[in-house]
Amino acid sequence: MKKFLSMLLILALAISMSSMAFAAEDGKLTIWCWDVNFNVAAMEVAKKMYQEEHPDVEIEVVNSTGSGDIETSVVQAATAGDLSTLADIILYQDNSYQKLVANYPEVFTDLTDLYDFTDFAEGKSSFSIVDGHHYGIPFDAGTAVAAYRTDVLEQAGYTIDDMNDITWDRAIEIGKDVKEKTGLPLFSAQAGSSDWTVIILKSCGASMFNEDGSVNLKDNDQLKAALDVYLTLVREGVLVEVNSWDEYIGTMSNESVVGTFNGCWILASVMSLTDQAGKWGMANIPSLVGVDGATNYSSNGGSSWAITQGTDIDLAVDFMQAYRNVDFYNEILPTTSAIASYNPAKEGSNYTDVNEFMGTPVFADIIEYGEHVPPVVSSPYYYDARDALATAQTNILNGADIQAELENAQNTVEFAMDF
Amino acid sequence: MTNQEKGQSKRHLTLQQKQNLTGWIFLLPASLLIIWMSFYPMVRAFVVSLMRGKPTALEFSDPLWRNYQRMTMDTVFIQSLKNTFTYLIIQVPIMLVLALIFASLLNRKDIRFKGIFRTCIFLPCATALVSYSIIFRTLFAYDGFVNAILLNLRLISEPINWMNDPTGAKTVIIIALIWRWTGYNMVFYLSAMQSIDYSIYEAARIDGAGPLTQLTKITMPLLKPVILVTAIMSTNGTLQLYDESVNLTNGGPANASITMSHYIYNTTFVTSPNFGYAAEMSFVILMFVAILSAIQMKVGDKR
Repeated sequence: MKKFLSMLLILALAISMSSMAFAAEDGKLTIWCWDVNFNVAAMEVAKKMYQEEHPDVEIEVVNSTGSGDIETSVVQAATAGDLSTLADIILYQDNSYQKLVANYPEVFTDLTDLYDFTDFAEGKSSFSIVDGHHYGIPFDAGTAVAAYRTDVLEQAGYTIDDMNDITWDRAIEIGKDVKEKTGLPLFSAQAGSSDWTVIILKSCGASMFNEDGSVNLKDNDQLKAALDVYLTLVREGVLVEVNSWDEYIGTMSNESVVGTFNGCWILASVMSLTDQAGKWGMANIPSLVGVDGATNYSSNGGSSWAITQGTDIDLAVDFMQAYRNVDFYNEILPTTSAIASYNPAKEGSNYTDVNEFMGTPVFADIIEYGEHVPPVVSSPYYYDARDALATAQTNILNGADIQAELENAQNTVEFAMDF
Repeated sequence: MTNQEKGQSKRHLTLQQKQNLTGWIFLLPASLLIIWMSFYPMVRAFVVSLMRGKPTALEFSDPLWRNYQRMTMDTVFIQSLKNTFTYLIIQVPIMLVLALIFASLLNRKDIRFKGIFRTCIFLPCATALVSYSIIFRTLFAYDGFVNAILLNLRLISEPINWMNDPTGAKTVIIIALIWRWTGYNMVFYLSAMQSIDYSIYEAARIDGAGPLTQLTKITMPLLKPVILVTAIMSTNGTLQLYDESVNLTNGGPANASITMSHYIYNTTFVTSPNFGYAAEMSFVILMFVAILSAIQMKVGDKR
């Protein structure tokens, strides 16, 4: 009995050891990412393409429950001083790059001289550049888009072209008119999230931080203009706030809003509403009025691939050439809706073809938009600032003073910076 | 004592000593594991709480208690402290009284289908923390089940925006906590009540004591040690509250429902990491738990 038990224990240990994916230089590539239908699916295509030419290379794509879990694993490995438990190639959120590279530089391989970064959208790759060095290979674009129900706009006497290249003043005007005629708000947003304000802020190349890394909230005119737009949208009823992500998606499937405004990945959710096919159209986002550098282009979300130090770096870099391959992006588009931040990808047939759901070649348009997104200053304290701004925004909506709340937010972030 | 005897006592332990030694040997593995896996991390956490810097390059701060000083100026931490104590002060008493009432109802001899009722009330605490939080979030959504019921009963004229209101969000968390943990505490009371001799109640009834007098004069005094245990466990659990804050309200609106543990998690894994400060706040929670438990023991245990 005793023997049997100890055998069982050893067996269990051996199995758990063998299933661990070590990042040593072993000629095998391990990849960590999340979302089976998106990142994992894309990597499986890249794996298939690579193995056709290099049949002897072993590649394992591991699906994680989320980007947060991957970050936790990285924090644990880095603080323990043992990177051998990490994968060779790891996907991170664009917004996390500055924070992770600043705190755990030993995890990241400097890719500046190893990989060709030309032809990637400038606004996109700026997220994973720290002190002029590239640490991430850009993947899906988070280019901001605005999509509208063309049938509802038509009822109110507008077309999708009326929504393209407009200012927020005009958008609010149209929104009020549409609300009056159809009873529907133009947009929906998740309450307590500062995503909208940050997207609008980024559209004029501005950021919550100064070039020198200091926080820039309380004297930031562009931020105040962006907040003002958001507040006006809510107060005029042009935007309806809901409490959770499910409710947010629900506003579109219940047809209780006219449009949506977010990173282009939201189109995957819109296009899953097959009963609304042909009723949607896409435009670029409205621009701020009277503010320096205002454009109709911005971004929200997206992620990039990093290569862990002490791994098969050369092999990983060779494998990642797939992300400079137009055919690759073309193949993954129909199944994943992952839109490239590699500009030449817009030549692929799946990009140039008219999208049946939207009625225009929206994917090529989005890459086009992405080329115009202004690069912005990012910071390791991005999440601190985002949360502080969200708190301020909620309080302002409930009647607090803008200047006082922004000063509070600034203090909160400065407090976190002074540790 | 002769020399021979002395030599023997050196080589051979007495029966008493032998038994003691055996006892210690049996205790040793568990004690070592507890020291290594529980006490060492606690001491280490205290040391880290005196440090500052990047996660992989921590150094002692100057002055040593800098993190403790810093905490008193942290508006978000103070907010989370207030929230946590609001939960504690409102939720724990309601829950324990409810548990006591349920337990004495289900302890009656003449009640039928006791097993089913007990299981039903105990069941909530067997559900996973995350899944029950998500279900509560759905129930209390703006167009959710609770608002629909209240509207149909004409108790409110328009839906309550629970999650977007500071008081509403806290209320939902408290209701969720009561739903989940009442049954758990009830089981403790029930098992203790079953050890109270039924003849005591019979005698009380002959003397003319009603159900309420029986509860306050017999059941509660005899249950005192168990009530003390549940009070300490609930206090401890509430001070460490995390899942509900993260999954139900995500700390919002504007940090109005964030708990201390949620804020500690954010400082370590969401925002730019500050391990020293996070360790310091964890240690402060430990001190709160220790102080509150000490007070409860002092008040509750008169032996």
